[in-house]
Amino acid sequence: MSGSAFFEVDDLHVHFASRAKLFRETPPPVKAVNGISFSIEPGKTFGLVGESGSGKSTVARAILQLVDVHAGTIRLDGDDVTNVPRPKELAFRKKVQAVLQDPFSSLNQVHQTRRIIGDGITRHFKIKPGPEREQRIINLLDEVGMSTEFLDRYPYEMSGGQRQRVSIARALAVEPELIIADEATSALDVSIQSQVINVLQRVQAETGVAFLFIGHDLEVVKHVSDDVGVMYLGYLVEQGDADAIYEGPTHPYTEMLVASIPMPNPIMQASRRELRQSFNNDAEPPSPARMPPGCPFENRCPVALDICREEMPEPSPAHHGGQVRCHLHTSGPELGGESVVEFIKTEARGQVAV
Amino acid sequence: MTATTSVAQSPRRRFWGRMFKNPLGIFSMIWFVILLIAWVWPELLATHDPLQQDVTLQRLFEGPSRDHWLGTDQLGRDWYSRVIFGAGYAFRSILIAMTIAVVVGVPLGLFSGWRGGRVDRAIMWVNDVLFSLPIILLAMAVIIILTPSLDNAMIGVGIAMSTRFTRLTRAVTLQEKEELYVDSARITGLSTRTILARYIAPNLLSSLIVQAAIISGAIILIGATLSFLGIGASLDDPDWGVMLNRSRELFRVEGVWQVVPPGMALILTVLSFNLLGDAIRDAIGRDSSNNALSITKRTAVTAATTPHATGPDVVLSVRDMDVEFPDQSGRVSQILQGVSLEVRAGETLGVVGESGSGKSMTMLSALGLTPAPGRMTRGSVQFGGRDVTNLTESEWQAIRGKDVGVIFQEPIAVLNPAIKVGRQIAEPLMIHQNLSKKAALQRAGELLAEVRVPDPVRRLDQYPHEFSGGMAQRAGIAMALACEPKLLIADEPSTALDVTVQGQILDLMAEVQERHKMAIILITHDLGVIAEAADRVLVMYGGQVVETASADDIFFRPKHPYSRALLDTMPQSHDGHGELPVIRGMVPSATAWPQGCRFAPRCDFVTDACTNDMPALETIGGDLVRCVRHGEIQLVPEEEMQA
Ligand SMILES: Nc1ncnc2c1ncn2[C@@H]1O[C@H](COP(=O)(O)OP(=O)(O)OP(=O)(O)O)[C@@H](O)[C@H]1O
Ligand code: SF4
Ligand code: SF4
Ligand SMILES: [Mg+2]
Repeated sequence: MSGSAFFEVDDLHVHFASRAKLFRETPPPVKAVNGISFSIEPGKTFGLVGESGSGKSTVARAILQLVDVHAGTIRLDGDDVTNVPRPKELAFRKKVQAVLQDPFSSLNQVHQTRRIIGDGITRHFKIKPGPEREQRIINLLDEVGMSTEFLDRYPYEMSGGQRQRVSIARALAVEPELIIADEATSALDVSIQSQVINVLQRVQAETGVAFLFIGHDLEVVKHVSDDVGVMYLGYLVEQGDADAIYEGPTHPYTEMLVASIPMPNPIMQASRRELRQSFNNDAEPPSPARMPPGCPFENRCPVALDICREEMPEPSPAHHGGQVRCHLHTSGPELGGESVVEFIKTEARGQVAV
Repeated sequence: MTATTSVAQSPRRRFWGRMFKNPLGIFSMIWFVILLIAWVWPELLATHDPLQQDVTLQRLFEGPSRDHWLGTDQLGRDWYSRVIFGAGYAFRSILIAMTIAVVVGVPLGLFSGWRGGRVDRAIMWVNDVLFSLPIILLAMAVIIILTPSLDNAMIGVGIAMSTRFTRLTRAVTLQEKEELYVDSARITGLSTRTILARYIAPNLLSSLIVQAAIISGAIILIGATLSFLGIGASLDDPDWGVMLNRSRELFRVEGVWQVVPPGMALILTVLSFNLLGDAIRDAIGRDSSNNALSITKRTAVTAATTPHATGPDVVLSVRDMDVEFPDQSGRVSQILQGVSLEVRAGETLGVVGESGSGKSMTMLSALGLTPAPGRMTRGSVQFGGRDVTNLTESEWQAIRGKDVGVIFQEPIAVLNPAIKVGRQIAEPLMIHQNLSKKAALQRAGELLAEVRVPDPVRRLDQYPHEFSGGMAQRAGIAMALACEPKLLIADEPSTALDVTVQGQILDLMAEVQERHKMAIILITHDLGVIAEAADRVLVMYGGQVVETASADDIFFRPKHPYSRALLDTMPQSHDGHGELPVIRGMVPSATAWPQGCRFAPRCDFVTDACTNDMPALETIGGDLVRCVRHGEIQLVPEEEMQA
């Protein structure tokens, strides 16, 4: 990483201490995030995908100062914002905002839209409730496609999509430079999800805000992102250009994710399903408290090598301009950063008799 | 996905609505109002001066009379007026003790819960010690330090009661601080004080009010006890405890009546505070009726006019089903209108539609599970060729347990956290197949193996929390399959799971269907899942069926604009990073269906004809369509038609 990026996460580690038990040895900490690095430029979106428990939200919470960073640095505009001290917190909050997953619980049920959006304006711009603040709130609502009739609504008087728009307006209210969207559209119906994604993209085009977009659906994440990172059990196993990764994944897990997205087309879906079934479907990912010494994906990988059980693969360059953590590129077939799609198709066929 | 699009009733209105529906709540509120008036303006209610004695000594120890409604005491004073004035003492006690309890207890609890860690543990240790001391003891301690008076005793009571508030506040704070909305407030940059005062405290308020009501009752009782023991109010005061004490002394001589007026006032007041607390709790309580499967009594159902699907392989057939729900104000909204469907053995029927379109309600109602206060008002249901429209709940239970399996969205929610998984799977086998416990457990192990849970025998002995989401859903499927049902209903079985796990569950369902030849109804909002698993598809919108067709027809030759629009909004249908197609607007609420076609406000093909009358559900070939323009509009682009 060059160190000159607008927003940069460098070798981030987050550990959660296990609870000490009386008369028993304290178990080792759970390593939720293991050495993650990526950067985002203004007006661009970095997408983070992975299954539940892979550490996506922990990355977001570390950036947002909601959990402690074990090691590594987070930089914004050249400033170290890893563990922001109290006096500087307000300035940091002004730059980094978030839209969180659950449109039901991320808004305070006892406050109306006006208050939800206005609090940040008062806090950061010292504008007391009054006509000026009201006008700002109305402009923000307009930006997310909502009319003034929603000013007096409580969260429970709005649909999931409307609440998520209010969340976006709240984040925009402080005119941030970076917005972290953690599963911001996951709880919504497909048709509403598309509306909210369009709002996010329009806002980005108009304000040049950068996004960290976290999701579990590679299809959605790819659509909104310039670059994506794929997380598995706390590791970034692959990262690079969004479209290039989707078209030609270089990590078997990424290919598994692509194969798992159901296509709304029975003919295409039949072949996706076949691809999906070439992976070891019944295996569960190992528990993060008891990580194997080798590649964490080994027990589900259809093309694992002997070395995979013993050694954790190191990042190596991939064809999409990013990096991949998989032994296939440096040992065995030595794919050298090329797509694994064809390799898995031919290799896995032989192994898995359907 | 349970996003409700309808505008909910405001909690305040709902609160008072419920309070006034609860007879005990009304009783306690009335009593409360009387006491309040007695406290603020006793002269308004009292008929005599409470201290005025009968100097003639003629009218001592009287029973109730026209002049003295509750009789007189040993000095000829009017009982009724003394009781009325006593309310003031009771309230004064509450005021002092409650102020101290709240002012000390709540901030301490907030602080302790928010800080957590060592500070929290230290505070709670001291708190627990104080909590365990008898309240009277603390009150006496304060009296000894200060001077004996009811007010000073109440200071001690307040300190003792503050521990209750500390505990409660801390518990709520600990819980609320994990909520996303508190994270959001921190991200906005609000100060801790603001978050505690404006975010946590309001959410705490309801529990505090309930607690305060109940504690108020206790305070009155304690105050009376202290006065009764002679260490509270002074001897001539019209305090209920003092009065009771004096009466007790004369009780043997002058009969029972003397203890009744102060005693009743005391009992009624304490009781009504407790009832008030309970009533507030019930009225605040979350809308549990939405989740509970309380089933409405069946009432007359208007017959269906469309004939049922026939044939030996038809498992479930529903015709012309209407389901209605009265809302709080008694207005009736039609949640389902004219729903018809059928599913055959070995077939998977996919049900799609946006949230709130009525997918889940259709399945619940078809199985006699319409949640109260809703009810099926029209239609007919056949299960395995038998008319089941008017079955009683116990008749239904026999069918559902044996012939219908259900898989839900949240697998963990179906499993009882306190019971081992093996027993939960075995139980229905013992009931419906009369297996012994041992045989049932063995079969449960086989079932877990069948749904490919690794190490099934060991897993039988585990509790649900030891299962991951995917494994819990497998266990859920095992439970649903236990009695080899003829029909399996899967309501969003994979939505809450990871994409990679979703595939596993779909594979598993296909596998068991192949083996047991059962019918499956698969409810989902994901057309990708439909494309993989469904043979036929039912598209729902606004509580109606808008189209049914084979899966191929829905995807390649949709007839209804809504089916087409749903397909277009899938991000998979869209390359590049540009704007995604959307269905504009949102699902209408059941209390305000649009005139005519319910999809009209969002439809790209709408004409005047659409908004006049509701389009009928027309049969075309074997398929159904509800759109007046279905013959004339072109929903498939030319290129795709050729491909
Ligand atoms: N207990 C209830 N009382 C009153 N209305 C209800 C109740 N349960 C559901 N509804 C209403 O019935 C309609 C249909 O709801 P249903 O749950 O069947 O939708 P769905 O299609 O399954 O949606 P989702 O995709 O969110 O699960 C909605 O308008 C909903 O608000
Ligand atoms: S390192 Fe080995 S086990 Fe891991 S993904 Fe690559 S091939 Fe599979
Ligand atoms: S009836 Fe009219 S408004 Fe309704 S779906 Fe058909 S074309 Fe659209
Ligand atoms: Mg549902």
